[in-house]
Amino acid sequence: MLRTLAAALGIIMILGGATLWLLTAPRSLDAAVLAEAPDGDAARGERVFWTAGCTSCHARPRAEGEAVLELAGGLELKTAFGTFVAPNISQHERDGIGGWSFADFANSMLRGVSPGGSHLYPAFPYASYARMDLSDVADLYAFMRTLPAVEGRPGGHSLDFPYNIRRGIGVWKLLNLHPEPVVALADDAPEAVRRGRYLVEGPGHCGECHTPRNRLGGSILAQWLAGAVAAEGDGIVPNITGGEGGIADWSHNDIAYYLESGFTPDFDSVGGAMVAVQKNTARLPAEDLAAIAAYLKAAPPHPNGYPARRPATQ
Amino acid sequence: MKLLLIPAAVLALSASAVTAADDPIAVRQALMQANAGAAGLSGAMLKGELDYNPAVAKAAIATFNAVASSYGHYFPEGSEGNGETTASPKIWEDMAGFQEAVGKFETDAAGAVEASGKDGPADLDTFKAAVGPVLGNCKSCHESFRVQDN
Repeated sequence: MLRTLAAALGIIMILGGATLWLLTAPRSLDAAVLAEAPDGDAARGERVFWTAGCTSCHARPRAEGEAVLELAGGLELKTAFGTFVAPNISQHERDGIGGWSFADFANSMLRGVSPGGSHLYPAFPYASYARMDLSDVADLYAFMRTLPAVEGRPGGHSLDFPYNIRRGIGVWKLLNLHPEPVVALADDAPEAVRRGRYLVEGPGHCGECHTPRNRLGGSILAQWLAGAVAAEGDGIVPNITGGEGGIADWSHNDIAYYLESGFTPDFDSVGGAMVAVQKNTARLPAEDLAAIAAYLKAAPPHPNGYPARRPATQ
Repeated sequence: MKLLLIPAAVLALSASAVTAADDPIAVRQALMQANAGAAGLSGAMLKGELDYNPAVAKAAIATFNAVASSYGHYFPEGSEGNGETTASPKIWEDMAGFQEAVGKFETDAAGAVEASGKDGPADLDTFKAAVGPVLGNCKSCHESFRVQDN
């Protein structure tokens, strides 16, 4: 009897384990979906490139001018899970992504899966990029093909156990990889708000820093864009909703002007990691900045998603 | 409302003289408030919210210059602020780099003073050309040397 029970338990555990193993497997895009992708357009892809902010993490740290297009990697993100190192995503055949097919590129952007078929760490913000249109991914791919090949590989990630087990990312994906929009919009929502939702929630990946995360590193969608303790533990990322502590008193123009110039309505300046982001948004067309503003003003308000501030300001 | 920023900036500057000796944190905060006042004023004119006026532009540039030439003196060892200010620990970890950044601000502000002449920059475009490089220092310095908050 006992032996039967033990055997039954064993079978259940094996089945459960096998199920979990299957559920956590890296999942690539269907060939049929990829086949429908339109040919990419490099000129349109440049706009996607600045929206998606690739260069903020993948250029050499502190790169300026034309050097922001040399995606050699090397930026270190020191987080509670360990240190992530941004890889080389230049067009170098061996050290970058020069050898990637469009399918490889789309699988990384939309599914967080590498060309070798393993999970990528979500420090690469594919949880947001998964909301992108396949046509934008195709345009981005076409633009990135025009960028220089840079030799050299930065070191690998240095992560704490158990985060160093890549298969575990499969569990993270089950919990956090949901390509549908975060904020539900009415059918008659203005086109600018809809476009802004796409830019903010998808390629712009604003929520990756501006939304607090749970202990497993998943975005807490109930506090979407409510601000968070900075992932690198140095300061806070502000609340960009209309809730208490947020930007209710910013006009549409204030938001667009900030993204264009780097100055808040009080003429304080952008700082920290947002400086690199704002350099990208400064290159976006006015209609996209207006759309981002329209969405942020329309998104649900939340109080600050981080602990009470320290008193002083300078 | 934006016009109130001029006296505010001037007041902030004079307040700094009073507490200079004993409280570097208070002084540098007052200096940065003066900077913010001058930036607000400049920005209002650049955005067209305030009519351009050469004398006002000159006052803003003079404020940047006064702040730039004194700001770097108020970060002695022991004024780190115990996490109660947004001055980043990186200032003290890399004092040479910080002073270099302040030095660039000083050079740019001095250049703007030079360009503004006796009566201030003649028109908005001249002002924009003079003050643009000065304003660029806000971001570059806050990127590295301020605890992230916006």
